[in-house]
Amino acid sequence: MTHSTTRRGALKTLAAGATAASLPMWARYTHAQTAEPVKIGFQVHRTGIGAAYGRWYGRTTEAAVKLINDNGGINGRMVEIVAEDDGTDPKRGAEVVEKFANQHGCDVGFGTLFSHVVIGSSPRAGELKLPYFVVSEGHHVASGMLNRYTLQPGITDVKSQVQAMAPFVAENLGKKVTMVFPDFAFGHDHRDFFTAAIEAQGGEVLEHIAIPPTETSFTKFFPKIPRETEVLYHVMVGPAVLTFVKELGEFFGPSRPEMFGFIDSLEAVDIASPGLEFLEGTYFWEGNPRNAQADQSEHDKFYRAAVGVDENGASISDPTDVSTYAHMFGCWETLHIIKAGMEAAGYAGHGDRAKLIEAVEAMSDMPESQAHPQGSKLFNGKTHQVFGHQYISRVEDGKLVKVHTTSIEDTLYPDEVDYTTQPL
Amino acid sequence: MRSLGLIVLCLTPGVVLAHASEQGFVLLLPTDVYITAGAASVGLTIVLLTFLPARLAMGVFRAPAVCPRPTSHLNLASSCAAALVLAGLVWIGFVGPRDPLANALPLFVWTVWWVGLVVIQGVSGNIWRWINPWTGPAAVLGYVTGMHPLMRYPAWLGFAPGIAVFLAFAVLLLADPAPADPTRLAFFAGGYWYVTMLGLVVFGPRWLVRAEALTILMRCYARMSIFGRRGARISIGLFGWKVMARPHVAPGLAVFILILLGTGSFDGLNETFFWLDLLGINPLEFPGRSAVVTQTIIGLLVANAALIAAFGICVWLGLRIAKSDITLLTAFCLFAPSILPIALGYHAAHYLTSWLVDSQYALKALSDPLSTGADLLGLGTFYVTTGFFNTPDTVRTIWLTQAGAVVVGHIIAILLAHALALHAFATPVRAALSQAPLAIFMVLYTVFGLWLLASPRGL
Repeated sequence: MTHSTTRRGALKTLAAGATAASLPMWARYTHAQTAEPVKIGFQVHRTGIGAAYGRWYGRTTEAAVKLINDNGGINGRMVEIVAEDDGTDPKRGAEVVEKFANQHGCDVGFGTLFSHVVIGSSPRAGELKLPYFVVSEGHHVASGMLNRYTLQPGITDVKSQVQAMAPFVAENLGKKVTMVFPDFAFGHDHRDFFTAAIEAQGGEVLEHIAIPPTETSFTKFFPKIPRETEVLYHVMVGPAVLTFVKELGEFFGPSRPEMFGFIDSLEAVDIASPGLEFLEGTYFWEGNPRNAQADQSEHDKFYRAAVGVDENGASISDPTDVSTYAHMFGCWETLHIIKAGMEAAGYAGHGDRAKLIEAVEAMSDMPESQAHPQGSKLFNGKTHQVFGHQYISRVEDGKLVKVHTTSIEDTLYPDEVDYTTQPL
Repeated sequence: MRSLGLIVLCLTPGVVLAHASEQGFVLLLPTDVYITAGAASVGLTIVLLTFLPARLAMGVFRAPAVCPRPTSHLNLASSCAAALVLAGLVWIGFVGPRDPLANALPLFVWTVWWVGLVVIQGVSGNIWRWINPWTGPAAVLGYVTGMHPLMRYPAWLGFAPGIAVFLAFAVLLLADPAPADPTRLAFFAGGYWYVTMLGLVVFGPRWLVRAEALTILMRCYARMSIFGRRGARISIGLFGWKVMARPHVAPGLAVFILILLGTGSFDGLNETFFWLDLLGINPLEFPGRSAVVTQTIIGLLVANAALIAAFGICVWLGLRIAKSDITLLTAFCLFAPSILPIALGYHAAHYLTSWLVDSQYALKALSDPLSTGADLLGLGTFYVTTGFFNTPDTVRTIWLTQAGAVVVGHIIAILLAHALALHAFATPVRAALSQAPLAIFMVLYTVFGLWLLASPRGL
């Protein structure tokens, strides 16, 4: 990120702040104009491969909207969620976006998680000039492949997450790394981003072990792990993850290298499950610490209570129902950004959609708060991507204990696009 | 441009997060051992039956009467009520929440009816007689207008319309990109009700039992259930006793029964890594149903054709081995109903996991049918849980329950086929010989059904 971006962003934030200061006056005025609710189209993966995530994204969204409405809504208008299932299907995703704009009269679209659905839906949002707030973690927004109407202000992207891990890994775990990853785009992201990042730290990747996605037994791949490996970096996903961990444990026995993984592999899985004992003492990236930490902020405490999640990251009504805690905060934070953006833009209706985009683009620093319980963030208006702290946790007695918080600077990389040059 | 976009998205880096827990634990279970045990149980049943006296084998399907059959037209009244409920659900489908897990229509159709009521029908008795939304309104219409059917149902059509409608239903269930979309489903459900009423007006009640696929399906499964009418009494017996009471079915119905099983099995198969790999699709980033509509329809048709052919070959081989002079068509129609318990067992097993989750949403929708924040059932803060997929013990219990349904289905099928053979063939030896190919088929199908439950899935 360039210095000038920050300065420009700061100026715009000040302007937005000034607008926000006058909020009560025109909020009442807006309210007098229309008591129609602000309609937020929630593109949710209710069915298909994203359904497990969709459930928690839905629950977090409900809690955030309740909070926003309890506090008077947006510009005095209540928020109404119009949830449409996209079947975790890119083609349907585009249809859902179209429904939001043309059929339901939504003010914005929000909430898409899976990358291929975002990539399939975003062009339609751009054509229809519907502000489209995705919560996907993908690098596709900041890479420049989408459009001015698509923003990711509530969750960091995988490129920044992966590169921010390298300093900790190199300093604390070792510099000779072997990577095990599924042999498709998701795994390739990790391979490319982390290899470059660890080399920048003076480390090296000894071996890239790509596992075919349909594989359900992994023993035959393990002999490829070089003996001098100091750190095993693993990002397996899918139903065979638990088998992977079990077989890895059988392969290494008590003498394993240090291990570092992404919680994506075990999101919504109880880390204390039988069979996962081998993970004790290993490290994970977490987007948001699942277990309440010793230094838990009041904001995390508030957010957990609102969503109905206990100190272990599970549902308060069922301790075995583990949430997708590392990702779902993105919905909460994005909805608060939509609120802040609409308030800064004086958003009164569909005619103000472009103003909303500009208001969000003008955002920069987002301090840790009730609206941002995961931590403070820095939004890049040019790339439409937010940057924030990343967490590294160690498995101790079946719990994920935070051992490192990256700086936001660790997560930054040069801009790859300037969406603000595109017409609104 | 759009197709270019679709190619690009398959190649573009990005996060894809498949859910690990339930299937992850299933993959850790000793499913190989369970599958062997299941197949062995079915095999053992076959061996046992070979040595069992014919009288005993026939005797298991004896059904004693338990009470006199109530004679009233209450079923017509309840059918009218069912039609009103359906009208209400269709209305909710059009105007209620867009979320298929909050809207009562898709929850009713796909969770309450397609899983819950179909299984209840197959286990307990013919509840469809009471809850179908057509017989009551048709009776009222007939009474009020004094109308009689305008035409005689063409006998040559047989069950062909019913088969065609069921296949269309299967396409909606398996291949349609959005079968749970409330508006689309309201259109389909309301439209189908209307067209069926038209059929009833034109052709009379025969339309329901020949062309209305859901009634044919429910009546098939009613043949499986333990309670049933026998003369003026209600009797109770082992699953399938009603098949023994009226063994022969029409060729069209025999084909319909096989399509029930073929479609159910394909429903399981098309989610597996195996199938997706066959289509060249990475199961960890499944591109969505809309990307595989054609492949799914072709797969559905091929699976059903293959099952009918395999079943026909087994029956034919059995006739040759037993040196019987019964025609292939007669034997095909005689043994086809023995497939019903397999279809029902797999239906219950396949849907158990989704039912455990979606029935909670259905309960929520019942408490708040229009998503207005109402809490008619007093549920309070009700969070849907999937915690039972997250612990090895509960996953094992769920899997063994599913496997149990599959194995019990096959064992009953074996018993039924054996009893039907004893009924049709002159000597027990010939009956046993005739069953050999079908018995091998059923053991293999047990393995296939259990393998489907144990396989990693990509949807």
